[in-house]
Amino acid sequence: MNNQLKVLRAIRNWSQAELADRLDVSRQAVNAIETGKYDPSLPLAFKLARLFAMPIEEIFDDGHEGQDDGH
Amino acid sequence: MAMKDKMMDIEPQKRRAPSMVWPIAIGLGTAMLAGGFAGYNQAAAENGDAVLAPWIGPVVAILIGGLALAYFVRRHADWFRSWSPRKRLYWVSLTLSCALGFVAAMVMQSGTNGPEGLFSNAAMTPTAAIGLSAMWVVGLTIALVLYHRTVDDHERQAYHLGGLAGFYAFVFPCPVWWVLWRADMAPPVDAMMLFALSLTVNAAVYFWFKFR
Repeated sequence: MNNQLKVLRAIRNWSQAELADRLDVSRQAVNAIETGKYDPSLPLAFKLARLFAMPIEEIFDDGHEGQDDGH
Repeated sequence: MAMKDKMMDIEPQKRRAPSMVWPIAIGLGTAMLAGGFAGYNQAAAENGDAVLAPWIGPVVAILIGGLALAYFVRRHADWFRSWSPRKRLYWVSLTLSCALGFVAAMVMQSGTNGPEGLFSNAAMTPTAAIGLSAMWVVGLTIALVLYHRTVDDHERQAYHLGGLAGFYAFVFPCPVWWVLWRADMAPPVDAMMLFALSLTVNAAVYFWFKFR
């Protein structure tokens, strides 16, 4: 799953460790999400959305936009 | 821009992380001190002199190492206070696990013949066996409860995958070895060898998913 985490973090000039502190997770977790090696759980995704004040779907992209709308 | 300003309002105060050289040096010093006690005991035994109880060396080393670590934490108290309660408890559980593993390994090793005795079936005194069993069950239970309450999502996934790999490292070889032994094609099944294999695979997979 693609995500905008690295860009959003860079805009705010935060290091991975700083973002990890804000999310109360390890730096390795932030790195794994950014590099697409790990998809966060729903609670962590919501935490990210709240932190960046953005909807989850603007941070994460599963590459299936518009395919699951029932039309 | 407004959003950025909003984020800056909640920015925590940045604190400089202390060098990790000292905790590593304290760990190495603790291991060397325990090794010194083990060497003393071995020399005393070879000379026919009285030896110290096997638990004394590792416990004294852990106490001195613990005091040094407490001094380090106190010296950098501001930085450690900036940690979240979850992070603090997480590191307490890891430190506790390391201390328990260290004491158990040193006691087992000092009661047998050198490093090769760690997973051997060499004879052990009832006191050491009961003490190690109690330490393993009680200590591991406390450390695991703390760990599971404080671990984050990403590490939980690494832990689960490592646990599954460790389980397979037991499930596949154990029955194969057992039936080969029954056919007189292999030596008797060695539980501790399977335990060591399972732990090694568990650790390798865990570290891979945690730090890749």
